[in-house]
Amino acid sequence: MALTDTRPETGTDASAVAPSVVPSPLTIFGTGDHKAVGTFYVLAALVFGIAGWVAAALSLGHEVGSNSFLSGSTAMQLGQTSNLGLILLVIVPLFLGLGTYIVPLQVGASTVAFPRAAAAAMWTWLLSSGVFIVASFIDGGFGGSREKSVSLTLMALGGLIVALLLGTVCVLTTAVTLRTPGMTLDRVPMFSFSMLVGGAIWLLTLPVLLANLLLIWVDHRYNGGTTFGAGAIQFDQVLWITYEPQIYAFLIPGLGIVADVIATLTGARLGQRNILLLAIGAFGVLSVGAWAQPAIYPSASDDLVWQAMGLLMLLPTLLFFGGVAKAFKDGKPSLKSPLGLAVVSLLLTLLAVLAGALLAITPLELRVSGFFEAGQYVLAIAAALAAAAAGIGYWGPKMTGGHSADGLGKLNVLVLLGGGALGGLSLCVVGFSHRFTGLDGAHDALVVVSMIGCALLALGGALALLGLLSGARKGAPEAAADAWGTGQTLEWACPSPPPTGNFGDLAIVRSPEPLLDEEA
Amino acid sequence: MTAHVLPPAPAVQRPRVLVVGTAFAAAASFMVFVGLIGIYLAARADVIASGTAWLPKGVSIPLQQPNTMFITLIMSVFTMQWAVAAIAKNDRVNAYLAMGLTLMLGIATIVMTTYLWYLMKLDIASGIQGVLIYTITGAHIVMLVVAMIFVALMGLRALGGQFTARQHDGITAAAVFWYAMVAVYALIWISIYVTK
Repeated sequence: MALTDTRPETGTDASAVAPSVVPSPLTIFGTGDHKAVGTFYVLAALVFGIAGWVAAALSLGHEVGSNSFLSGSTAMQLGQTSNLGLILLVIVPLFLGLGTYIVPLQVGASTVAFPRAAAAAMWTWLLSSGVFIVASFIDGGFGGSREKSVSLTLMALGGLIVALLLGTVCVLTTAVTLRTPGMTLDRVPMFSFSMLVGGAIWLLTLPVLLANLLLIWVDHRYNGGTTFGAGAIQFDQVLWITYEPQIYAFLIPGLGIVADVIATLTGARLGQRNILLLAIGAFGVLSVGAWAQPAIYPSASDDLVWQAMGLLMLLPTLLFFGGVAKAFKDGKPSLKSPLGLAVVSLLLTLLAVLAGALLAITPLELRVSGFFEAGQYVLAIAAALAAAAAGIGYWGPKMTGGHSADGLGKLNVLVLLGGGALGGLSLCVVGFSHRFTGLDGAHDALVVVSMIGCALLALGGALALLGLLSGARKGAPEAAADAWGTGQTLEWACPSPPPTGNFGDLAIVRSPEPLLDEEA
Repeated sequence: MTAHVLPPAPAVQRPRVLVVGTAFAAAASFMVFVGLIGIYLAARADVIASGTAWLPKGVSIPLQQPNTMFITLIMSVFTMQWAVAAIAKNDRVNAYLAMGLTLMLGIATIVMTTYLWYLMKLDIASGIQGVLIYTITGAHIVMLVVAMIFVALMGLRALGGQFTARQHDGITAAAVFWYAMVAVYALIWISIYVTK
């Protein structure tokens, strides 16, 4: 095997190293174990996700009919909180949690880089998220009437962005510096590579969001909120992270998950691996959107670069689509739920990118009402959620040591596909209403359909959570080290769940699929 | 008969985890200022395009103090690099001296910035200009203080004998963050103080 080129040091059996850390009340608050930290991120983000999609559905309810059960300002604040929350409290931490858990395993490291910083980042994020939610609910959302609550919201958002950046630095440093011998950058597993690209884009763009928040807070606190801190325009200044091209930055790690899941569950090597790496890299470059802030640069959407980015995004997406489709052709797909969720994520990603390309064609004037953009946002976030659910289902046996109930996962395939399509596409159709007056009469019905879609996405988050917990229940079928029997990358070489230190000594890696080399 | 023994395999090179992590953190910090200065330049261009002067009446930003700060910080780049070079040669006395000087130059920059704030007579509540200038320069002072704490901690670790010629990643990492902080000041100097 390529893995058999044992390094000079004496090899040890991974199962013989220290036992796994089992989260308990005593270890929860003090642990720097990357597996516990990653698990906490995932569990908390899924809970926030359920709440976030429910809030999104409720805020959409305000658009239906004239007698809303929510006041205008309440619906607006609920919508704004869920818009930002679904990114910063759900999608980014879900991927970061999976990254904190899985990236060290994939690159053959015994731990994440700066384990205490990773733990501090997770707790800071969790605390800040709690403060953000509470402050938003006491009229402290953007443009809220309680000044101190608004300040609290802004500071909490700043805190959670700093925490997410710190967590990202830990994962990126792991992927760059702690790779096992022989694992060159082009041999890094797809998820780790996508975390490297996505994390780098987050490091370049989320600080700009922090800069926006800093200006809003200083103006709100010391200048009476007359410019940046003015209630009416506070949210407009941070809205850019929900628009294209920036929204794509939160999909990048999902591409890596999809590629890893498809490779393993079809049992085929990714034949066009370099093309997939190129596609993920290009997807990352085209998702840098911090410069296109409508509040600062109102004519950003008329900019040729912005339009070109929206249209060009189709290329890496289709390239990626073609690359993973070849794995289906070369291998034998195993009908497991992570594979279904990966396909759902791919489809929703393609729909989001197609919607983005339509938005970039400015003569269509699809940005007029904001509904089309909202639809694209829902499609993109649903695609990211489906990818994260696929990752949780795929690595769940590794995380919990037991196989989860696949029926829940298969149900989730339908729920997330339905939720994403109904929630996003119906809003995109509403976005065409200024061009087709016949759609006016269907406005309310389409928004109700979107509400149902959002509710389904909340259910999807709940099913992903239940799936993960079902693997940890007593009596769950025990997972082997290579839980799927067709694992290709190093995380499947250590026991499930991994012990402290993850591996014994690893041999030199000779290809991107070291476990397949071992079998050959 | 004596057996011929091969020399032991070289140790696997220790990855420079702290240096790489600090470089990522420094890049993120740098991007905060890129965002702030981008907004500053856009706001200033809007005000000037409307036919009014950027700075409110009675407010002026002298150039002497910003220039002095720039020279001070450029000197600190040399002292910081002196510290890295000294520890790489196991020359501890020079390393302590260089880090001490770097901290002194950092303190001088803080003092000069606060003096500049006094001289400008710009009220933070005077409008968009006050908010932007104080946010950017204040955030830079925060970054400078973080860099000084980083250097001081690494200095204490060096005093504790933790760094050697072969392993001095901590001081190199502190230097990386320090250089990023100076690069940020260069951006501020040109965009706020020189072109106003």
